[in-house]
Parts: sequence; structure tokens; C-alpha cells
Amino acid sequence: MSILPDEGGSFSHLTKHCDMKKGLLYALYALIGLVVVAALAFKIFQPVQVVPRIRLAPGFSLIDQDGQRLTNEDLRGGFVLYNFTYTRCPAPCGNLNQTMQEIQSRLDEAQLGDISMDFVTISFDPDYDSPTVLKGYADGLGADTSQWKFATTPDETLLKAIIGGGFEAYYNQKDDGTFAFDPKFVLVDGWGIIRGEYRYQTQVPDTERILRHIRVLAEEVRNSQGSASLAYEAAHYFLCYTP
Amino acid sequence: MLKNKRWTFIIGLLAGMGMAVVAVVTLPRLQPHTFYGTVLQSPDKAPDFELDTASGTVSLEDFRGKIVLLYFGYTFCPDICPATLAEISKAITSLGKKADEIQLMMISVDPGRDTPEMLRDYVTHFHPSFLGATGTEEEIAQVATMYGIFFEKHEGTEATGYLVDHTATVMVIDQEGHLKLVFPFGAPAQEIADDLAFLLK
Repeated sequence: MSILPDEGGSFSHLTKHCDMKKGLLYALYALIGLVVVAALAFKIFQPVQVVPRIRLAPGFSLIDQDGQRLTNEDLRGGFVLYNFTYTRCPAPCGNLNQTMQEIQSRLDEAQLGDISMDFVTISFDPDYDSPTVLKGYADGLGADTSQWKFATTPDETLLKAIIGGGFEAYYNQKDDGTFAFDPKFVLVDGWGIIRGEYRYQTQVPDTERILRHIRVLAEEVRNSQGSASLAYEAAHYFLCYTP
Repeated sequence: MLKNKRWTFIIGLLAGMGMAVVAVVTLPRLQPHTFYGTVLQSPDKAPDFELDTASGTVSLEDFRGKIVLLYFGYTFCPDICPATLAEISKAITSLGKKADEIQLMMISVDPGRDTPEMLRDYVTHFHPSFLGATGTEEEIAQVATMYGIFFEKHEGTEATGYLVDHTATVMVIDQEGHLKLVFPFGAPAQEIADDLAFLLK
């Protein structure tokens, strides 16, 4: 083996050097390109989808259909789907309960695993909706009150702050005693954060959307540990929200 | 031919520089600071209030430009409140000069017993910058409801009088008035300090 350059050796050395420089440059391009593609892919394909963390759900202490205290702290740790109504509500109100019932009967589709899920119907008519009335109402619906609670509080100022302020569900009693109100469902996670708000639509029931959101939320709770939490935080950051 | 190559090189270089700029902007966002507290991205401003402190009436808006930590507690609180306030004090002190940009406010869940003066003496014991605020029973109930705080009186011993059970989270409101983070009870000082330092960047 000779260390002496052969004919034209110095020239080939030069091109080789050039090649290396070029190679390095290409490698740099490729690396940068890869990062950009990864970022775009994350945004476009959204490998992880989440439901937004909208705001804090209100704190409350209500009385349920059995006369028992029901607080937001009792419900912490599991998901809760809330809706707001009153038992004297005329006919179309029944559809809200149907949605609650349908979601409960199809809850296995949401694949909750060991995450608990409660349903709470809050009445904004405490004058009439005593625990006894709420109990009768629950029985009439065939509700399993271990999972589906009916509650209210006689403190109307606080009730307004909870439903109107915290859950942002409008209601107002009219002169004839009936209520004008915002038919709404609110999904709250185990940390007490509102993750979904659904205005009831008569044409397209929200059932599918709510079930889908519960499933996505359960996936996030199960998977967002360790390094996967970065992907979930990125999904929140890039607003990769589930439709 | 040579001209063509040069153009290819220039275009390649420009494209590379463009991608580098995109990467520099995107990379830090792809690898966000992992918050210990739960992050909220609420488009709405955090609910405002007007409450009394020993140095007059304050509202959340008075502290725009600062990070506000909201905590609900009371001066007779036997264990949870002192522990939380001590951790926050430790966290804030560790931030050095930046501590000036953070304001902790403890809102009383015991307006029946806590006066603004009692609250001042209590909270400043933990950190001189801390504020204590109270109001009427109704005002407190409204604020607590809006911040997801449950509180309820229950019997204590003869020595302590009644006690108040309450949600013990700490809310972080950013410089623009948005609720940004929620710390669970028991958040360590170091974690609180890291999150606050990131928000102050």
C-alpha cells in the first residue's frame, strides 16, 4: 500500500473533500426536512386527538333525589355528564332524558375501562323539585340512581351561579311558571375541567358526538403517561380537537 | 450547465434556510415544557371578583401583567392551608427577583370568622407579598362556585371551633387574565417553581 498519491491523486482528493461537504449539507437538509415533515404530519394526520380543556366546572353542594348531599368533590376522579332541566317541563323536554338514557345504554362503546362515569341532571326549579319529586321523576324514567343523580339546591342565587355561571346554561322562569332554558349537556373530566359542551339539537341528536368525546377522553387519561404525555400536550397545543 | 448548478445550489440553500427557520420556530413548540399542573386553554378570561383585603378592595383585573395564584383557605385551617402556603412561598422565593411578578391571593372560605386584618397577618407569615381577601358569604360563595371550589362547615373540636372542608387546588391566572394552570393539593415547591418560571419567560 502506497501513501504516495497516484496520478491525479491530489485532484481526486479534492473532489472527495467536496463530496463530503456536499454529503454533510444533504444530511443537514434531510434532518431539517424530516423535522418539518414530522411537525406537518403531526398537524395534518393528528395521530393523537383530544377534547379541549375548556374551563373549570363550578364547585357545588346540591341535594339529590334521596336527600343526600352531592358535591363536585364527590364526583372528582371520574367523568360526569350534566344536563339541566325541571320535572314539570312539557313534552319536548323528554328528548334530553332520552339522550342521557341512550348514552348510558351505549356506554360500553366509549371503552371507559376502569374510569367511572356519572350522570347528573340538575333541576333549576327547586321550588317544585324537592328530593321526593326528583325521586319520583327518576323512577318514572327508570333511572339507575347509583349512576344517574337528580339534584338541586334551594339556594337560588347559588343555583344560578352554578348552572348559569359555571356551566353557562341559560335559564329563566317565565310568568306562567314555565322556564325558558338552554337545552345543554356538559362533559366534565376527573380533574373538574369542562371538556365538552353540547347544545341539544332536535334534528341531529348529540349522542354520537358525546360518546365519541367520552371515548377520546378515556384514551387520553389512559395513555397520557410518561413520554406519550408529550404527544397529548402537543395535541392540545396544536388544537388537534376531535370533531 | 455550470450556471444551472449554481442556481440549484442557491435555491437549495434558500430552501434549507427557510426550513431551518421553520424548524427553529417549531422545535421548541414540539417539545413543550411539561407542566406539573393541569394546563387549560380557556379562551375566556378567568371570572373576576371584588373582595376586601387589609389594604382595600381588590379585583383580579388589578393584577393584569402579573401571574396571580388563587387559593381558597381560612386562617383557622389546621393543616392543609399552612402546608400549601408554605410550598408556594418556597417556590416563589426560589424564583428570586421574578417573585415580584407573582401575586398569591388567599380567598377566605370562612368569611364569618376571617377579617381582612386576620387574613393579612396570617398570609404574610408565609410570604410578605401574600394577600388575603374576604367578602360577604354570598360573594365568597359566588367566587368559589366559579372556580370549582366546594366548601362546607363541619364540627371541629372545642379547641378549634368549627372547621371548613374545602377544595385545596391552586389556580394560576396568567398575565393576560386567563386561567392557565391548576395545581392539585400537594404540588411540590420545585414543580410549582418550574411551571411559574416557564410562564414568566
